[in-house]
This record gives sequence, structure tokens and C-alpha cells, in this order.
Amino acid sequence: MSARRLWTLLRREVRATLRDPFTATILVAVPLLALLAFGFVLATDVKHLALGVHDASGTAASRRLVAELAANGTFDPRRFATRAALDRALVSGAISAAIVIPPDFDRALHQGGDPPAVQVIYDGGEAVLAGNAEAFLRSLIAATGAGLTEAGSPRGAGVEVVTRALFNARLDGKPFMVAGTFGFVLSFLTTLITAVSIVNERMTGTFDQLQVTPATSLEIFLAKILPLGAVFAFDVVLMVVVAGLVLGVWPHGSLLFFVVVSSGYVLISLALGLIFSATSATAAEAVQKTVLFSIPLVQMSGFAFAVRNMPTAFRWFAELLPATHYIRVSRAIYLRDAGPLELLPELGVLLLCGVVLIGLALRTLEARA
Amino acid sequence: MMDPIIRTRGLTKRFGDFTAVDELAIDVAPGTIFAFLGANGSGKSTTIRMLIGLLRPTAGAIEVDGIDVVRQPRRVRDHIGYMGQKVSLYQGLTLRENVEFYAGLYGLAGAELERRWGALRERFALAEAEREKTEELPAAIRQRAGLALSTMHRPRVLFLDEPTAGVDVRSRGVFWELIQDEAEGGSTVFVTTHFMEEADYCDWVCFIHAGRLVADAAPEELRRRYSAGYRIEVALPEGERAAVGAALGREATTTPTGVALVVDTLGPDVLAALDRVVGRHPAARVRIEQPQMTDVFRRVLAAREAAPPAAG
Repeated sequence: MSARRLWTLLRREVRATLRDPFTATILVAVPLLALLAFGFVLATDVKHLALGVHDASGTAASRRLVAELAANGTFDPRRFATRAALDRALVSGAISAAIVIPPDFDRALHQGGDPPAVQVIYDGGEAVLAGNAEAFLRSLIAATGAGLTEAGSPRGAGVEVVTRALFNARLDGKPFMVAGTFGFVLSFLTTLITAVSIVNERMTGTFDQLQVTPATSLEIFLAKILPLGAVFAFDVVLMVVVAGLVLGVWPHGSLLFFVVVSSGYVLISLALGLIFSATSATAAEAVQKTVLFSIPLVQMSGFAFAVRNMPTAFRWFAELLPATHYIRVSRAIYLRDAGPLELLPELGVLLLCGVVLIGLALRTLEARA
Repeated sequence: MMDPIIRTRGLTKRFGDFTAVDELAIDVAPGTIFAFLGANGSGKSTTIRMLIGLLRPTAGAIEVDGIDVVRQPRRVRDHIGYMGQKVSLYQGLTLRENVEFYAGLYGLAGAELERRWGALRERFALAEAEREKTEELPAAIRQRAGLALSTMHRPRVLFLDEPTAGVDVRSRGVFWELIQDEAEGGSTVFVTTHFMEEADYCDWVCFIHAGRLVADAAPEELRRRYSAGYRIEVALPEGERAAVGAALGREATTTPTGVALVVDTLGPDVLAALDRVVGRHPAARVRIEQPQMTDVFRRVLAAREAAPPAAG
């Protein structure tokens, strides 16, 4: 081995790497982003979980109970005047757990007889989060309840906690992951497949040829994504059937609605892949962009970690990802039998993402250097 | 000259600090073969990409077949055919499938397609290749197929970017005959090449160097302006040399084998004189040395460097 030759080879590799801004950025940014995301954003401990509170008692004792729940930072209580409003917030996903304090809470606490029963309700769709939240609430309410009865009560029976899962009562984690997997697979695979399509055509010269024919960018765009869209729509049906037959997980909601929404999402995702492709000089660069995109896709879309647990800035970022909204819709249909009206806000965001991304894709196809 | 079918004024393209094309002004007459000659990296492909609307100029005006290409790049597409440096055939498809694809984009189908493609297939000798996948075809056939496809919709202007790059010399000759056929059929052909000798297939030649137009004339005119001229040698027996020298004029000189003469152009008078010599002296053997276009190009550059910089 020659040290001089090795030095020559090393110098060339280092120069080539540092002079490629995209690769240099990836080399520095990816480790930092991953470190911050896993260490800061995606910590598995439960903190500042939105907790709905319907306090029908409205006494000093019930207010103290709520204050104790808020004290250690695990829960951020949000008060709801009616039980119906509380249920709506749970169904929409605005809160992940709730407690209902009965009207006779204070009286039952200080008189003989049965101890007061505080109801804990949670969204069982997010099985892991729900399990953690339930355990925390049980222990916190029990401890606070014991404190409340120590001074005045002759019996010190504390507070009874009655739990109820709104969906997925058995806290089975499979439906949650299956519904989320649609989001991950449809986002990553569609983007990867289309990411190389235009850049490959550019390199073989056929894209230039295509651009000097009367074909419009809309026609080129549709021709690129519709056949793939049909294939992925078939994939969705196949995944639903396999998940049902093999894993025993079927959507609680309408299969037709799920396939229609998923097909629409596939088109959005394909458009993103086309943007990667049309803005890349080589196939390798397009693939790098797709892989880079898959990092926030896994970490921040809610596929693996709850978005509502993330710090505010990261939550905003997550809301910008179409995958975040699709995964919510997918889980809502799979776990809660949600229909189009209930999901209108999420569907609206997806539609907006579609319009923006397809518009951008058309612009990149049309763009002259 | 008739109204030009291609016209540029002040056409400029900069990439950052690098000026690829600088203040280009050209006029291309309808129905001619216009050669855009220059070394690799001189700005030929950048120019052609601007002319067909694939690249936005930094400054200047382009008009192709009456269409303002800078403002309406899409409109020009119905009027032009294009063949790039990389022959644009889809791999994985047969030649026939490529034909149907491109024909479909121009609205050609059914009997009309069969009629048009049938004629092209015969003229370009592509019948045997029709069922082959394009990646399995030899370069020369792919090149002919690319040209056939770019002319299928009968464009008024045909843009060919280095069409003979990577093709052997014999196939290049055949290819240029096909290009000349297209021009005779009424199309205007704008062709870039770095093979200087291909200028002789063309009606008009532009030399581009470092993004600037350095010469612009018919090939013969360029030879007249920028070469030592045609060297004519007549080999013949010693006893006949004096008479032949006198017949060819005062510039003729005797050589060890006969008589030699250098002329600016091969005009009718020169050819008539040679014809008379051969008629009267059956033993005479005439050899004409044409100035090489590569030498012409070198002299153009030398003349440009020697000239004082233009005012303003």
C-alpha cells in the first residue's frame, strides 16, 4: 500500500463530498435532526397530555383534585362545561384522555357510604398512550383522593376510579399500527417510485423530447401519476384484506371511504415524488431526497409517536406533513368508524396539500432553466 | 433573402458569471440547412435549447416561424421537430411502440400514421428494426430512427443537436443525405455539429466560439474568405506542360509532375478551363485539393484574435 496514493484518493473523495452541497448538508443535518428528534421531540414519557375535565361537582375538593393533576406537568387540564362537549373533544382527538367528576363528589368524599367514583375516559385507539395515561391518572387520582379524605373523613376510603376506553376497549395495539402503516407505506413508497422517474428520463433525453412535443405539463403529470395511482389503490385494497385476514384488523368505518381517501392521498404523495425528481440532477440525488424525507415521515407524522406530545414548534412542523393528516384519517376510519363529515377538517387540509403539491409539481415540470 | 424563419437578436444566456451565449444575432432562410458549428462547449446546445423553448434566455429575442419563443415557448412546439444529442427513444419499448407513442402526441393515428410511418420506414431503412427494443439497436439505426421520429409530424423547422455524434463515418454520410432530403421536402433544418467537414452538407454556416458568433456565410464564401484557396494540380507529360500552363492563366506554375494553380473558388470559369485542358490533353490527370473546413475555422479564429477590438 502506498501512503501517497492513499492520500491522493482520500483528498479526491473529501473534495468531491464537500463540494456537493446537498451531500454535505445531509451529512451534517441528518445526525443533528435525528438526535434532536429522538432526544427532545420523541421522548416516550407522557408530558403535558391534553386532559379533558368535566367537573360536575364544582367544589373546593374537586378543584383541588384537578389542580393536583395539573401540578406535575403530566397533564394539561382543559375544562368542558358539558359531558357532550367532552365527548366531542375526545372523538375529534383534541384531547387524549378525560375525567368526569360526579356532582356528589364532595358529599360522598366526606360522608359515609360508597366512595365517590371519578370516571376516566380515554381514546383506546392509541393503545400505548392510553395505557400510560390511564395508569398515571389512576395513581394520581388515588393519591389525591387519599389526601382529600385524610383530614375530614372518618373512614378514609379515598376515591374510586372507573375507567372506560372510548374506542378499542381491549387496548389492542395492532389496529393503531396497521392504520398508521398505510400512511408510512403510501408516503414512502410512492415518493420513492416517482422520485427517479423524471430524472431518469432527463438523463436519457426523452424528457427534453417530450417537452418539445405539444404535450402539456398537466398531461405529462397525469400520465405519470395515474397509472401508479391505480396500482397503489390496488395495493391499499390488498393491504386491507391481508391485514384483515392475517392480523384480524378490519376497518370499523367504510372500506369504500377509506380506499377513496387513500387513493387521493396516493396522488398527493406521487406529486411530491415528482417534485423531488424534477428538481434533482441525478437519480441518486432524487433517492437521497426521498430518504431524507422519510425521517420526519416516521418520526413526526404520528405514525410511531403521538404528535400532541411533541413541543409546539415540532407540532406545527408535523401539521405541515400531509402524512400526519392522512394517518389521522386512516386511524379515525379504522378505529372509530369516522365518516367524511366528522373528518372534514383533516380532509380539507389534505385537499389543500394536494392542490399546493400538484401545483408545484406542474410548475417544476414546466420550468425552464 | 426571404423573411427568415429563425431570427435571433441579442440572444444571451448566462449561468452565474459564465456567459454561454453572448449577443447572438442570426437569420435562417426558409428551406435551407443551417449549420451551427463550434467546438465542444462553445454554446451550440445552449443556443438550440433556447430556440426550441427549453431554456429561458437571459436577454434577447427569438422568433421561430413567426412565433416569439421567449414569450410563448409552448406555441412553437407545434411547428418544430427536435432531435437531441441523446437519441430520445424510450428503452423497454420497441421502435414501433416508440413510433406510436410520439405519433399519438401529435395526433397521428390509424391510416394516416400508417401512411406517414410507412414512407419514413422505407426511406430511413427501418423495417427490420421496427419490432426490436430500442436499446438493442445499433447506434446508427437509433440515430436514423430518431431523425425519422422527429420528422414524422412534418415540422416546418427541424432542430438537430449534434445528430451525428457517436456515429461512424459511413453512417454519417447516409444520415446527411436524409437530412438533405428533408430540406428538399421544404423543411428548414437547423443543425449543430462539431464535425467541421459536415459544413459542406449545408447551405449556410455559422461558426460559434466561446458563445459568440465569429463567422456567418455560405461554406464556399467562408473558404474564399478564410483559406489559402483550392489547389489544382494537373499531372501530364513534360512536353504538354507549357501549353496547359498558358491555358490555365498567369498564376499557374510548373511542378515536377505537371502544372499547379491555386484559386479562391471553384468558379465556372476555372471548371471550364479545366474541362478544356482535359479535352485537349487526354493524358492529363486533374487533382483538386479543397480547403478543409477545420483550417477555415482556425483562420477565422486567428483573424478574430488579430483584429482590433470593436468600438463600443
